[in-house]
Amino acid sequence: MEDVVCNGCSLLCDDVVVEVTDGEVHSLGLCRLGHQHLLSSIESNSPQASTRESGKATEVSIDEALERAAELLLSSERPILYGWSGSTNETITLGLELAKTLGGIIATPANLGMTQALSHTLHSMDLGIDLEYVRNNGELIIYWGSDPTESSHRHPSKFAVLPRGENIPEGIESRTIGVVDVRNTETMKMANHRLIIPPGMDSAILEALVSEISGTSSIASDVAGIGPQELIGLARNIRKADCTVIFYGSGIINSGNADANLSGLQAFIEAVRGIGKQAFALPMAPESNIMGAIKSLSTDASTSSITDIVAGDFDAALVVGDDALVELPGSAAKALAQLPLVYIGPPGITSGKARVSICITDDVITGIGTMNRLDLVEIEFKQWNSQKEERLAEHDVMARLLELIRKEKS
Amino acid sequence: MKLNPMELYNLLPKTNCRLCEAKTCMAFATKMALGDVLPEDCPPLLEKGFEKNLEKLRDLVAPMQSAEETGIKLDESKCTGCGNCVVVCPVDVAVEPPTGRGKAGRSRDTVFIVENGVSKIINLEKCRRFPPDRLNCRVCEQYCCTDAIEIW
Ligand code: SF4
Ligand code: SF4
Ligand code: SF4
Ligand code: SF4
Repeated sequence: MEDVVCNGCSLLCDDVVVEVTDGEVHSLGLCRLGHQHLLSSIESNSPQASTRESGKATEVSIDEALERAAELLLSSERPILYGWSGSTNETITLGLELAKTLGGIIATPANLGMTQALSHTLHSMDLGIDLEYVRNNGELIIYWGSDPTESSHRHPSKFAVLPRGENIPEGIESRTIGVVDVRNTETMKMANHRLIIPPGMDSAILEALVSEISGTSSIASDVAGIGPQELIGLARNIRKADCTVIFYGSGIINSGNADANLSGLQAFIEAVRGIGKQAFALPMAPESNIMGAIKSLSTDASTSSITDIVAGDFDAALVVGDDALVELPGSAAKALAQLPLVYIGPPGITSGKARVSICITDDVITGIGTMNRLDLVEIEFKQWNSQKEERLAEHDVMARLLELIRKEKS
Repeated sequence: MKLNPMELYNLLPKTNCRLCEAKTCMAFATKMALGDVLPEDCPPLLEKGFEKNLEKLRDLVAPMQSAEETGIKLDESKCTGCGNCVVVCPVDVAVEPPTGRGKAGRSRDTVFIVENGVSKIINLEKCRRFPPDRLNCRVCEQYCCTDAIEIW
């Protein structure tokens, strides 16, 4: 069996092995999501291109498709280059150059929530720990508005809940786990503290914990439906723990109160650090290279949010790696569907609707390039050779498209 | 098989001394009937004067501890392949130490292995619920968030 790196989610597991013999795929260590991703990547790996005129699709060569794509994008005044959350850092770099060359705007699905979160002052608080640090030191773990059982299956077993680490000799026995969510989640089964709160009440809970931890006042009555005993118990455990880590997810970011919630987290970390203990907050998001995309794109001024698509600000779109017509909210998807569309990525709904569509080989198979894990650690794909069939890497397609467009421009 | 808690209770010291986790003898008897605690978990029972009771209790709970009477089942259709069971099972950690630090298991000497996206029990007989250990371990069930593991 051969070592691979899984890009089924943002954990980018690199301790897994795969073997393909006579079309039979055999994996060890990949979770259900990762194995499914590998299977569908292998099944759908038939590099091909098509163009579509008034609903009628024609299969064309890759070269022809690239020329058609270049033509379409060059004739646009203001194209949007959308996707990237599942692309390698190297492909994203090419995307940025293409956006510059075309005078276009580049955007990722995360632009709305996660980018905002990462630019909040919370993230200027020296939060630069990685997941290995959490495994070795995280004594009190809180999943806040995030549910790893749903989307980052191995997060608890590999890093945050169960494994033993340097200062966590007994694994789960050495940790205390909390889950805060608006509903009873499967992750709560592992938790010592389960807080089910009404939507939008996160900052109230954080505030109560801050006052209890810093000793300014004690919780005397229910906060957001949670009894004082439960909150005081959690605060007591936080005070006891040498290192507290909160993994915050969409519940914090997309609840409409993102700013207040993130400020609440910041105050929480200050309070815990104020009593001489370590505290950190790390984001949770499932898309494989969401962090790499945000990191690369946030340094670029010409990025945009998907709301602009609705406003009809664009006259053409290049979608890379993201089945945008499925994943975008209805109004944005509708607006996008009406634009002349070039699609590069695995086959899906968007590939079947685009004027030009180039279906590529998933990076789990090509095994080339790098992505940033959830904690920003750079992970390099591993090449493995059992997959001997035809390959067409997203990166190569982007490189050729950029070259073509540059040539035309000059 | 089912044990009668009353029958077990009558053999306990009946002092509610609170030395056990259950805190009362009746609660302790109920737990023992479910196989969650063993007679030796009651410290006063191990003292002089209770030898006969201890022996009787051991005889009563013994069938629960036998291979036929305990079991563990994994429903692959519910399993997400999260690996919690692999990492938390004390047998797995002993035979393949990297699993205890969160790494995927590969040796095939473990009780669990995550293969093709789901966990499988490949060495059931190593589970410490079975003889010779007969321990009342159920941590894999406890930390399987999707309830794919069932122990009886
Ligand atoms: S947790 Fe994510 S990266 Fe790891 S095996 Fe599962 S899908 Fe792949
Ligand atoms: S320790 Fe034994 S005697 Fe004491 S309360 Fe528990 S069961 Fe009863
Ligand atoms: S009951 Fe304990 S020993 Fe048996 S498989 Fe589960 S964790 Fe392992
Ligand atoms: S803990 Fe449960 S869901 Fe996770 S791998 Fe084991 S059986 Fe599957």
